[in-house]
Amino acid sequence: MALPKLREFITPADAQGVLNALRNYQDRALIVAGGTFLHGLESRGLLTHVEALIDIQRLGLDYLESGKDGLKLGATALFADLETMPEIRNDPWLGAIKDALVFPPVQVKNAATIGGSVAASCPFFDVPISFMCLDGVVKCRGSSGMRDIPMQEFFTGLFANAMENGEFMVELAIPRPRTRSASAFMKVETNANDLAILNAAVRIDVDESGTCSDARVIAGGGVGETPIRLSDAEQVLVRQRLTPEICARAGLSAKGSVNPISDHRASAAYRSEMTRVMVNRALRQALDRLRQ
Amino acid sequence: MKQIVPLHINGDIHEVAIEPGATLLRVLREHLGLIGTKRGCDSGGCGCCTVHLDGKAVYSCMTFALQVAGRKITTIEGLSPDGRLNRLQDAFVEAGAVQCGYCTCGMIMAAQQLLDVTQTPTEEEIRRAIAGNLCRCTGYHKIVAAIKLASAP
Amino acid sequence: MAKFDVVGHSVRRPDAYDKVTGGRGFPVNVTLPGMLHARMLRSPYAHARIRSINASAAEKLAGVKAVLTPGDVPQKKFSPLFFMPTESNELIRDLVLLSENIRYAGQPVAAVAASTPDIAEAALDLIDVDYEELTAVFDPEEAMQPGAPRISPTAANNIARTPTLSRGDLEAGFREADEIFEGTYCTQRVHTCYMEPRVCVVDSDMQGNLTVYASVQHIFGLREKLAYVLSRPESGIKVVKSPYIGGGFGSKLDLVYIEPLAALLSLKTRRPVRMEHTRYEDFITNARHPMKVYLKTGVKKDGTFTARYAKTIVDTGAYATHGPEVIMVHAVFSFFSAYRCPHQKWDGVVVYTNNMLGGAFRGYGAPQGCWAVESQIDEICHGLKMDPLEFRLKNAHHEGDAHPFLKQFTLASYRLADCINQGAERIGWKNRSRTPSGAGTKRRGIGVACHPLWVSGCVGLPDIYEHSGAIVKLNRDGTADLATATIDMGTGQNTTLCQIAAEELGIAAESVRMSYADTDTVPFDAPSHASRVTYSAGNAVKAAAGEARRRLLQVAGEMLEADAADLEVRKGIVQVKGSPDVNLTVAEVVSRAESPLVQMTAAGPKVTTIKEKGSIIGVSSMAPPGNPSPCAAEFVEVEVDTETGAVKVLRVVYAHDIGRVINPAAAQGQVEGGVQQGIGYALMEHLQFDPGTGACVTGDFLDYKMPTAVEMPAEIESIFIESDEPTGPFGAKGLSEVCLTIPAPAIANAIFNAVGVRVRDLPITPEKILAGLGKL
Repeated sequence: MALPKLREFITPADAQGVLNALRNYQDRALIVAGGTFLHGLESRGLLTHVEALIDIQRLGLDYLESGKDGLKLGATALFADLETMPEIRNDPWLGAIKDALVFPPVQVKNAATIGGSVAASCPFFDVPISFMCLDGVVKCRGSSGMRDIPMQEFFTGLFANAMENGEFMVELAIPRPRTRSASAFMKVETNANDLAILNAAVRIDVDESGTCSDARVIAGGGVGETPIRLSDAEQVLVRQRLTPEICARAGLSAKGSVNPISDHRASAAYRSEMTRVMVNRALRQALDRLRQ
Repeated sequence: MKQIVPLHINGDIHEVAIEPGATLLRVLREHLGLIGTKRGCDSGGCGCCTVHLDGKAVYSCMTFALQVAGRKITTIEGLSPDGRLNRLQDAFVEAGAVQCGYCTCGMIMAAQQLLDVTQTPTEEEIRRAIAGNLCRCTGYHKIVAAIKLASAP
Repeated sequence: MAKFDVVGHSVRRPDAYDKVTGGRGFPVNVTLPGMLHARMLRSPYAHARIRSINASAAEKLAGVKAVLTPGDVPQKKFSPLFFMPTESNELIRDLVLLSENIRYAGQPVAAVAASTPDIAEAALDLIDVDYEELTAVFDPEEAMQPGAPRISPTAANNIARTPTLSRGDLEAGFREADEIFEGTYCTQRVHTCYMEPRVCVVDSDMQGNLTVYASVQHIFGLREKLAYVLSRPESGIKVVKSPYIGGGFGSKLDLVYIEPLAALLSLKTRRPVRMEHTRYEDFITNARHPMKVYLKTGVKKDGTFTARYAKTIVDTGAYATHGPEVIMVHAVFSFFSAYRCPHQKWDGVVVYTNNMLGGAFRGYGAPQGCWAVESQIDEICHGLKMDPLEFRLKNAHHEGDAHPFLKQFTLASYRLADCINQGAERIGWKNRSRTPSGAGTKRRGIGVACHPLWVSGCVGLPDIYEHSGAIVKLNRDGTADLATATIDMGTGQNTTLCQIAAEELGIAAESVRMSYADTDTVPFDAPSHASRVTYSAGNAVKAAAGEARRRLLQVAGEMLEADAADLEVRKGIVQVKGSPDVNLTVAEVVSRAESPLVQMTAAGPKVTTIKEKGSIIGVSSMAPPGNPSPCAAEFVEVEVDTETGAVKVLRVVYAHDIGRVINPAAAQGQVEGGVQQGIGYALMEHLQFDPGTGACVTGDFLDYKMPTAVEMPAEIESIFIESDEPTGPFGAKGLSEVCLTIPAPAIANAIFNAVGVRVRDLPITPEKILAGLGKL
């Protein structure tokens, strides 16, 4: 029994109910939505302290909205619904999300939520780093109201994030780019139902002259306890007219800035080299999308 | 603390007293005798426990039973309510896609969702649709063939 | 070629109807009224001694009905292998049901039966065990060093066995050689990954008789081992055959802890007790042995072997179990007798470590040997600039040769050359490039491997059970029931054995039904293993059906006033040969045989004859007549990503001489499943353990990776060479295991062809390829 102390499954009808439950149980409560990762934690004995599960799926947070400022993705919206948003399917700037959503099995897409994938704070996940490269912002709610945490500051360690006790995630906001932009995601995996051995998500913005005005390069999956933003690689791209050669140089730079882990899935040396290859390939993919 | 909730399964409503941590898989098998849904790993890795929740394939080992009260659940037993194989089940038999058969029910539930939304899926779409289901006997070869057979116009 | 009505057709599997609608027949579904649920407590230490164990708090927990600790169970040492007699000299009996001496992480130390699984699980936390931790050793070569921790009290330097085989004069052979090749080839620990967990339900009556339901490949083996461990008579144990089980692949050929523990818990509580593994427990219960094989091979410039030497180190894990047996099958069938060579020697070492137990897995030692031998042949051919097909044909056995190991037999049907030539034709071998081909970062290559010698069962090998039996009983509606102890673990025996019976009886395949069986009611049978069932059980089924058929024709002869020898039966009709108008249906004959002697008719009482009375039934119990060798060649095309090292298998052509094919679709299914397991073995599967604690770190499918449908090639082509084995049922011989022994070397050889990188350690991970390309 991997949840030996579990006493209560709480299904609040509104946010206040969630906050009350969080106040009652403190760090002995766990928010659940799709539940697709919970059992992985459970079977590793990481949830033996949990006394209450709080299901936030009845709060009406399953919305997916697109406006002039960007996307507002409700915390309990499903991967499967996100995947069918026309903008995700078609717009180059959201390409990284589209790419990342290829990987989860259908059973996971039908249950896993946007909020769950982010708040789980697992460095081997795919979808969150696609949000990271798009400068996504986590909106969380606590007893003193709403708070914004940029995705790039959200992850603080293995299964740890910048939300305080008593807070929970309600939305992920993605700002609409002001210039032409494209993003892409790439992954190294062993089989089609795998955590990332290494993954990379990139975004490139270009101005009217075709020069790169801004870029994001994110690597995850064993590069460390959290996914990381590789600013040096971004600097290789910015103010350049992007070519395959520049992409390759950015990949090389990315490799130089990571210090990955070795584990039973891959060595640090392999992950380093894959950082180069995946960043390079993701940039090439984004570049192709820009040219479409 | 158990809660008594209604579960809508294959058109029937079951009032079940459920412990807070019980998975849908466990309730189906142990409380309701719906043993077509199989436990293979209990961690979302094998797909043997796949059922439909509001028409969409999910792992019942990763779904808390208390989360799905009132929602429409379909298990393998619900695919042939009149005692006759549906087209996909018949195709699995015809194509020789069943060997030990332990993965079969979950595999059919995953494939059924694909066929519910895609009339004539490509080979790649078929393989992706069952990537969350492991089979150790068939190499998936005749499973893919069966899904193609069931989707043929 | 004889014309068959049933054999050779892909008839639908009768059990598939149930399996696509819910699969009620699996042992995992067995529940009995009043059933308790049991769980095991396992040691967190890989090497330890239990100082004390206190279960009193667990016993007091509400709902707990019984607790077992080492002091409560027999300390009798046993070997868990179902397929050999318990007291065989070949085996080492050193396993104990619950011991105070812990030799691997996860070894059970206690068991609890409770009213629910959750209570049983909670009770485990209340068992207080005081361990004295000992130094552990996980590497077999370190384990053999002086001063290494002592694992078995009876094995000096932790060496359990050192068998050898020798023929000719090895040194003379090396002197005759033009070139000598050396290499060391390693294989990893992998799991069979059957989908249905190990599970059992054991019930006991007030006399202490046990009834057992379990997911195993051998009901008589389970009965024998259980009786031995519990020191109870075999006649007091009934093992019920499940209609089917959810895979086995060799893993379910052992007594594992659950069956005897559930039996003891049931005897203690007088209630049925169910025990089921978690997936983690399945992963650490048994696995294919890792082997390290050193090869030194002398060849002439023309590619003829002059001398072959091999040394194999087997990591048998914490207890001997399969180690002493698997190493012999490995040596004989994947090295020593695989090819013709006058001068050969092999040395084996079976080593204890503090790793999990070894077990059987499809191929039983052969995948490890084929990995070494078939990889090295590719290296030799590269060195000699010789075609690998020509090389193999030059050194292969020929049809009609004496069996290279089982001297009492000949290779009466043996068409390896056809396998090689037809497979080569289909894959396009002659267009294979000697230099890497492909575009961008991708390179393509084609490789081949063979398995020249294997078994269709085990007759002639020391101390391995081999005989089979069957009961065929005809029904008054013209159908037949077939009862046999043979278990269908997914391989299709419920179908193929019925086809064999139907062909012999002259009725339709659908008219034969696989019926109930348990150890009380059917003849002894060897397990479903060793590629034996189609051949060995098939012969027994054919014999039983033949006996029923003879009786059918006798009765029909009485009814038709004809000599039985002049009758034939086909498609459910008994007729006089050459006079098809004089006929009866099978149903009519069986009805008459089971009818009263005097029958009242409209015309008054009518007397039939006593000679025609009695159910029409055939029983067989027999050793198989031989052990013919199947043989196979597998060709694969791969694509290697030279930037990531990722390998995609694009295409497989598998050519196999299996004698007559009973059911083509089922046979293809064996090949296709073997390809999945083979690709997994070659490229990704690897049971791994924490180097410090010995705890398994790949104990679920998140970490233990096997191919999904996405990694599998869309093109898998099976070519069956139907050699018509004279001793086989309708000419059939074995199939299953070879499908898995050769994909790994074929893939390695294709990778070498694609990118020039030779990997000798399985699995061939992307990083090994990148390292070979000088990119890491």
